[in-house]
Amino acid sequence: MKTRRQFLHHGLHASLLLGMPPYLLGAKKSAQYRTALIGCGWWGMNILREAIAAGRSQVVGLCDVYQRPLEASLDEVQQLTGSSPRLYRDYEEMLEKEKPEVVIVATPDHWHALPCIKAMELGAHVFVEKPTSHTIGESQAMLQVARATGRTVQVGLHRRIGPHHVSGMAFLRSGKLGRIGLVKMFVTSSGTGPEEPTPHTKEPRGMDWDRWCGPAPWRPYCRRLTPGGWRNFLDYANGTLGDWGVHWIDQMLWWSPEPYPKTVFSTGGRPILGPPVSDPDRGSTTDAPDTQMVTFGFESFTAIWEHRKYAGNPQENHRIGAYFYGTEGIFHMGWRDGWTFYPRKASESTVHQEPSFDHVEDGHNLTLLWQDFIDAIDQARPPVADIAPAHRSSLLPMLGMISHRLGRSLNWDGQTESILGDSEAKSLMRRAYRQPWTYPSLQSKTSSNQPSP
Amino acid sequence: MKLSSVCQSLLILTLFSDSTTLALDWPMFRGPDHDGISRETEWKKQWPESGPITLWEAQVGIGFSSVSVADGCALTLGHQDDQDTLYALDSLTGAVKWQHSYPSKLGAKFYEGGPGSTPTIDGGRVYSISKWGDLFCLEASTGKVIWQRQLEKEEGLTLPDWGFNGSPLILGDKLILNIGGAGMTLDKSSGKTLWLSNQEAGGYSTPLPFVMGNTQLIALSNETHFTGVEVETGTQRWEIKWPTRYGVNAADPIILGDEIWIGSGYGKGHGLFRIQGGEVSEIWTNRELRAQQNAPVLIKDHLYGFDGDGGSRAALKCIERSTGKVAWEADSFKYGALSAAGDHLIILSAQGELITAPASPSSFEPLSRAQILDGKCWIVPVLANGLLYARNSQGHLVCVDLRP
Repeated sequence: MKTRRQFLHHGLHASLLLGMPPYLLGAKKSAQYRTALIGCGWWGMNILREAIAAGRSQVVGLCDVYQRPLEASLDEVQQLTGSSPRLYRDYEEMLEKEKPEVVIVATPDHWHALPCIKAMELGAHVFVEKPTSHTIGESQAMLQVARATGRTVQVGLHRRIGPHHVSGMAFLRSGKLGRIGLVKMFVTSSGTGPEEPTPHTKEPRGMDWDRWCGPAPWRPYCRRLTPGGWRNFLDYANGTLGDWGVHWIDQMLWWSPEPYPKTVFSTGGRPILGPPVSDPDRGSTTDAPDTQMVTFGFESFTAIWEHRKYAGNPQENHRIGAYFYGTEGIFHMGWRDGWTFYPRKASESTVHQEPSFDHVEDGHNLTLLWQDFIDAIDQARPPVADIAPAHRSSLLPMLGMISHRLGRSLNWDGQTESILGDSEAKSLMRRAYRQPWTYPSLQSKTSSNQPSP
Repeated sequence: MKLSSVCQSLLILTLFSDSTTLALDWPMFRGPDHDGISRETEWKKQWPESGPITLWEAQVGIGFSSVSVADGCALTLGHQDDQDTLYALDSLTGAVKWQHSYPSKLGAKFYEGGPGSTPTIDGGRVYSISKWGDLFCLEASTGKVIWQRQLEKEEGLTLPDWGFNGSPLILGDKLILNIGGAGMTLDKSSGKTLWLSNQEAGGYSTPLPFVMGNTQLIALSNETHFTGVEVETGTQRWEIKWPTRYGVNAADPIILGDEIWIGSGYGKGHGLFRIQGGEVSEIWTNRELRAQQNAPVLIKDHLYGFDGDGGSRAALKCIERSTGKVAWEADSFKYGALSAAGDHLIILSAQGELITAPASPSSFEPLSRAQILDGKCWIVPVLANGLLYARNSQGHLVCVDLRP
């Protein structure tokens, strides 16, 4: 069976051979892709809106386990396109019936791997939200299936294409920072504690809570979990490190002369929010750390992640981003504050670049990232946030959380993607799925599982 | 000057002393006419550079409860130290006349939390509901509890994601709440349930009374619809499907004749519908006024209100009611809330700036501005008897003297 990409390739070659006029080739590239969305929340619709605006998508299906956002998304798609995609609660049914060519996966982390893999196996290109997955084995399987099927997979790391990130990376690579010995990535916010438990209540009408939990552990519903609150429940995501951390860790790895660290050590906890609560009478709190420091040991430099959900960062100019410390000064890669170079010498002046967003309110560059995804499909080239580098960036928060759980340092071999000399830690790279779901299996080691150069 | 103002107030008090609430009182959320517009016309719309005088300030705890004013009493709700408190303050001095506290949770889900409903004053009694369904009827003069209920537990209700935030409506002998999928009514004297639509989560709007034919109805929202319900029986007469991303239909509808305006935030927009019999037909819908929390005011065939969500870029807009077309927009605002008095707008910006302006479809021409609060101000400012009450989410309440 020919994959779509092979078909496109063959078609392209044949037309070139026949001396087809270029405008027909252009017409080919303006084809509409049958597009489906799995996970119709805030961010899923942000992505789908870009797909619609780019004019290369015909929305054929919307899938969610909760009726309310499903209907709100349908309402918006109808307004934007005049057409009515069919609604699904079961992504497999949707993929089989609608046969989409492009699938957007914007579910919580624990629900990334299975829909992505199924979509790729059925021939679709995939745009999946960051991080790639919740546990390491899932991400490995996703990468492997992407390579085996030849599908294009863009991961929602829009900071790989945001203009100030691109120009900032060029500045970093220009050598003006001298030799870089330390990268510190951080997110700080304000808050107080302790966190009050949210009572366990019946899930909202129209929400299939069992399916929402899906392959992850089931836990009693409380209103803190949805919408969005699942990011701080470790059954379903990896807290601030997994959510925000992956963006800045990805920036660090984008620059890094080495593809992976050799050691990972995390410390931290919930000194402000208090110990996690899950109690039938009192309800539940989140369980992700409010304080976390992770040290990633590379051979030629050290990288540190720090987050704090209190105190803000009033003594500095920046409350979020990545500092690169070089012999010539400090470079800050930020978000709404663009990038700034603070030279070591007082005689030299600060260099600053303002950001430029596609969407000012949410501060992202999804328009560019989506266009790159479509171009990558058209041109059969890797997209800017291809699954291989995104996989490597996504693994570091997951390793950080394993170290956090065990309270000890990990030795990491990025070539074979294994934790060395610690079978307990190694076992946490995967987890048992809840029945009837099956954890994605890895084919025996092939080169597709190696990090690409 | 202050003294003469007090005298004036006393005069007004004397003139209207035969009524249970003063004509210029603001006894519930959205005011005496349920439209966000005060009947007052003689108030100070312009002030010197130094700003109007702040008569008094109070700290009432975290929350998004607005202020209601009647019989010399200003009421609002706030949360502090694991309890909600209903404050009854002297409307002229801010002195605490009484306060009533009960254990409660903050409910800070993606925002500061705290109570979101505004107490209602009727016939010498105060009706107040918490996010979690604690309903109280208290004596307005003393704060003594006449009856109380815990509706969530007693009625087995599903809470909306952000709890109950609609305010109580009193209509005749009935207390009406936006609870259940299509409202509930209770006997206002005993608190006994008369009817409850169902146990589903309601919306966040306050029930709006209106008459259709000869029947008394209320219009209210739930997570996915706006609906018209017969007050006597609870029968749903019509509904308009209005799905929003987070099930937040919070802005109260506006009814004029057989037309109803509805709107919501989170990108949804607003629309005008005609209701004839049980049939609803769309006149127009668009995304120009995404009213996330507070409804606009309708003055002479134009709507004035905030388009956009709290915490993001928003614009104050004037929209022609009959067509839905934007007459003007002022985009210097980062969200805010407004009410009106006569034909003037009273705007509180999200950053606490008080702005007055004539309600005119030709342009937005502010008359006066004054920084009266800081912090997050998403709560509608209230004018009653020449005094302007405004508060922020942290519970800083100010009373500004706008008496002529």
